[in-house]
Amino acid sequence: MKNLVYIFFFLSLICNAKTITVGKTYPVKTIKHALTLAIDGDTIIVTKGVYKEGNIIINKKIAFLGKNYPILDGQNKFEVLSVAADSVLVKGFKIINSGYAALDDPCGIKVYDRNFVRIENNILDNNFFGIYLQNCKNSIVKNNTIRAYGKQEQLIGNGIHCWKSEHLQIIGNRISGHRDGIYFEFVTQSVIWRNISNNNIRYGLHFMFSNDDSYITNVFKGNGAGVAVMFTKNVKMFNNYFEENWGDSAYGLLLKEIADSYIFNNRFARNTSGIYMEGTSRIKVEKNVFEANGWGMKIQASCMENEIVNNNYVGNTFDISTNGSLVLNTFNSNYWDKYEGYDLNKDGIGDVPYHPLSLFAVLTENNPSAMILFRSFMITLLDKSEKVLPSITPDNFIDNKPLMKSLPL
Amino acid sequence: MRTLVMACITMLTLISCGSNEPKPIKINSDSCDFCKMTIANGKFGAELITKKGRYYKFDDLACMVQFAKSNTVVPYQSFFVNDYLKDNTLIPAETAHFIKGGKINSPMRGNMAAFSSAKEQAEFAKKLEAQTITWSEVYNAYK
Repeated sequence: MKNLVYIFFFLSLICNAKTITVGKTYPVKTIKHALTLAIDGDTIIVTKGVYKEGNIIINKKIAFLGKNYPILDGQNKFEVLSVAADSVLVKGFKIINSGYAALDDPCGIKVYDRNFVRIENNILDNNFFGIYLQNCKNSIVKNNTIRAYGKQEQLIGNGIHCWKSEHLQIIGNRISGHRDGIYFEFVTQSVIWRNISNNNIRYGLHFMFSNDDSYITNVFKGNGAGVAVMFTKNVKMFNNYFEENWGDSAYGLLLKEIADSYIFNNRFARNTSGIYMEGTSRIKVEKNVFEANGWGMKIQASCMENEIVNNNYVGNTFDISTNGSLVLNTFNSNYWDKYEGYDLNKDGIGDVPYHPLSLFAVLTENNPSAMILFRSFMITLLDKSEKVLPSITPDNFIDNKPLMKSLPL
Repeated sequence: MRTLVMACITMLTLISCGSNEPKPIKINSDSCDFCKMTIANGKFGAELITKKGRYYKFDDLACMVQFAKSNTVVPYQSFFVNDYLKDNTLIPAETAHFIKGGKINSPMRGNMAAFSSAKEQAEFAKKLEAQTITWSEVYNAYK
């Protein structure tokens, strides 16, 4: 019985965390004042209003909550919110107008070298960088809406920028109008899940030197140059949408110097190039849909040991294009809507192999201006004769088991 | 008539000759000829012109040097780099002053910045905790 009393006594000490409410009608009027009053474990609730307090630094382990989206205004001069303590929760704020500077990258919310930080349900509007995690571990960025109004010819930061971090979870955010929607550099063992990253100036998602990550069920639509995964290994890309990335240097997915990765069940629709691969090896591309792209896949000669299996290629101008003559990648059991073979034994697999590489794709790769002859009579004729007797295209560049019916993906 | 044709031909020949003026980089529109990324930062870009007058644009000094080293056939005319202090302005690399390392964060981690004067170079080397280097050191930093 006595022990129980002690336990209750200590529990009451621990639960002694107080709640400070900030607002015009409350005794504490400013956030900075509240932060000086708070100790580790406290909760600060900020009520509705506009708070122009310059740079707010959270350096205690607190829950920092906004009620009815109070506005934190950086007046285009300051970094709005800096988190410099572990285990901080930032939730329910509208953060606007961070400073604009090319040298020290001011942000809406920046976390410095911290663990277990959660940033949830905030609205970030017109900031230079949105949310910036620098050297963080085990942190979560969830359900934030991040908007900026970057234009061509203008320097602007990234929506969610993560640098030298590990074990991050980026979930359910909406990002638009930044340079890169989500940017990972030296970030490992992290997951990007259910985000929508549309209409950013450069990339919807950008990986550099970030190993062992996965991104699952995201939408990347109408970005300046699609999505780029570069200088990386062991990345899993599942169930994503890559749509409407148009332009000379725009790709649904740009893969450069990447190895040992798995691209599964994604949809590449209406891009100039669905996937562009350069210097990639040991990647498996399985059960994806390539639909209405200019080029389904561009595989440069520097790629090897990639496996392209069970994909649907429907309504692309060119299914595959390459700039080399060596065949180091395998194509098997894909559905090609341009396949004109037959299936006598009715096993669903075409009896003659399919050449996905058309003569004209090779010609335009070497000489882009030849495109003007596309769909002319001579080119069609040449294409047909090339299909029968390959001369310019490598004759072993084939799918041995082309499917007669498209896969239900 | 004949003179007109001759004049046209002369004009065309003159135009097709390589000039030594850099073409401005279109930020967020041009892509790097080495790493394929869209060039988004007008502080670290670079450009090279071949003897035949072809232009190549880069998002990082490291990309330009690696690109230049990867080819041994085509001779180069000149190299240009973005001035770190002026937004998207190209200056000749041979006369530029460089710093490397420290707090510089360039798109492809070359982490080099160029300045048009030695005074600015010294000032920012101190400010960004970087080392000063010369163009030949930059050019020989990559294989």
